Amino acid sequence: MSAFTKGTEGGVKSQGDLLFEAQQRQQRGFKRNVGVSWGIFFLIIIYFFSGQSFLGIKTIELNTDFIVKNIGFIALGLPQTLLVSVLAITLAMTLALLAALGRLSTIPPIYALSTFYVSLIRGTPLYLQIFFFFLALPQLGIVLTGLFAGVLALGLNYGAYMSEIFRAGLASVGKGQREAAIALGMTPIQTMRRVVLPQALRFAIPPVGNEFIAMTKDSALVSATGFVHEVMWRATRVGRAQFNNLEALIMAALFYWLMTLLLTYVQSIIEARLSKGDR
Amino acid sequence: MLPIVKISNLDKYFGRLHVLNNINLEVGEREVVCIIGRSGSGKSTLLRCINFLEDPSHGSIEVDGVRVAVGGKGKQQRQLIHDVRLKTGMVFQEFNLFPHMSVLENVIEGPVTVKGMDRKHAVELAEQHLDSVGLLFKKDEYPNRLSGGQKQRVAIARALTMEPRVMLFDEPTSALDPELIGEVLNVMKKVAKDGMTMLVVTHEMGFAREVADRVIVMADGELVEDNKPEQIFNAPKDPRTEALIVRYRTGGG
Repeated sequence: MSAFTKGTEGGVKSQGDLLFEAQQRQQRGFKRNVGVSWGIFFLIIIYFFSGQSFLGIKTIELNTDFIVKNIGFIALGLPQTLLVSVLAITLAMTLALLAALGRLSTIPPIYALSTFYVSLIRGTPLYLQIFFFFLALPQLGIVLTGLFAGVLALGLNYGAYMSEIFRAGLASVGKGQREAAIALGMTPIQTMRRVVLPQALRFAIPPVGNEFIAMTKDSALVSATGFVHEVMWRATRVGRAQFNNLEALIMAALFYWLMTLLLTYVQSIIEARLSKGDR
Repeated sequence: MLPIVKISNLDKYFGRLHVLNNINLEVGEREVVCIIGRSGSGKSTLLRCINFLEDPSHGSIEVDGVRVAVGGKGKQQRQLIHDVRLKTGMVFQEFNLFPHMSVLENVIEGPVTVKGMDRKHAVELAEQHLDSVGLLFKKDEYPNRLSGGQKQRVAIARALTMEPRVMLFDEPTSALDPELIGEVLNVMKKVAKDGMTMLVVTHEMGFAREVADRVIVMADGELVEDNKPEQIFNAPKDPRTEALIVRYRTGGG
């Protein structure tokens, strides 16, 4: 009898129900408090940049005229930023998959090429790689546009890091799957194409999403070439010209932040859909 | 009876470990042969050598007139091995259904991709075999929605749809919950009754006794006894056979 308590609505609730409800209330309360705290931090930051004086503490005053005048100019960099990122992630995925497959090869030069590529790229800075394609190659008579050099550098760089993701994806497909395919009479290429890759790619989609989000931010480095008019390039250009770097960079930061929030949201939807079809 | 499977002088080493020691075995058409033995006796390795999931170290394998001698190289050898694989269907302990394909897609995958059969014909054939294992109504489900017993029945249908001459079963019920073993064994009995040549590595002594034409006992990489089930279970000659069946008798098998 002690395990049951009379509920307030007259229904009988077990102790388990009551504990579960208490736990739920606690979780809801935690989420609400986190949300409220976020709001407060946000308000503090806004106040911090409001230019108001309070209790003798002077806050930072932003040039609102400058912001209103230039926000559109910086926003126009968003499509460029996304273009660079989309092209580069496409290149990166291709290279990463090839590098991961190379790591499975039993042919020494192919295995070596794959490890050599990953080692070289991971051993040098991305910033250097961008300049290499844009500034060093012209010395050899190869002139790439800023966009092309940037996409190439970002793609090569991310491809090297992402090869690990694809390697893990390929490793996640059990030996039994390959054996079942071989026993049916599939060739190694058929086994890879029909059985291993579809499963490996499904495994790789969520982490590739993370890499894409990271890349939208690293694409800012491409502005260093001076010829890709993405968000960062536009922010530094107007900021320097009128010595309003503070306002310009804050705007750019907000744009990047919003973009990552949006992409993270899209990614969570894709992930939820994938896990629903998890089979 | 003309042998449809002929294994001659087969040896297999894993590194320095000698897991199969000079195996000679013939299986006649429509014969059901159960291979029993303790784990580590080499029975699964023997089965997996037949379709070259394991590379034998020495000897030869012949299935339905296609003879593959170990040591051959190049395109011709690959073609022979491919031919042997087309003549053998395999059922695994862990089912190994393709999780990204529906039941029907799993079953037509072999005929369409490997044999180049047109899809319509493959679907007809697949549905026929799914029906015979009693799972046609699950054809659009994905494997993760099936019970272990259902998965294994689909795996059997997948192998049968390739229309092999010989079916190899590698401990087909060992990964199943006890209450699901019966449905798989019943399907296997049906396959045997339909005249399929079968090699079954199993711990199911009841099945071996009831369905097998011959029971082979393996120990330490050797065939220690090869006889009719009545002989094996009633009058075992080798002490290792006796130890094996006594163990299963007391285990309730």
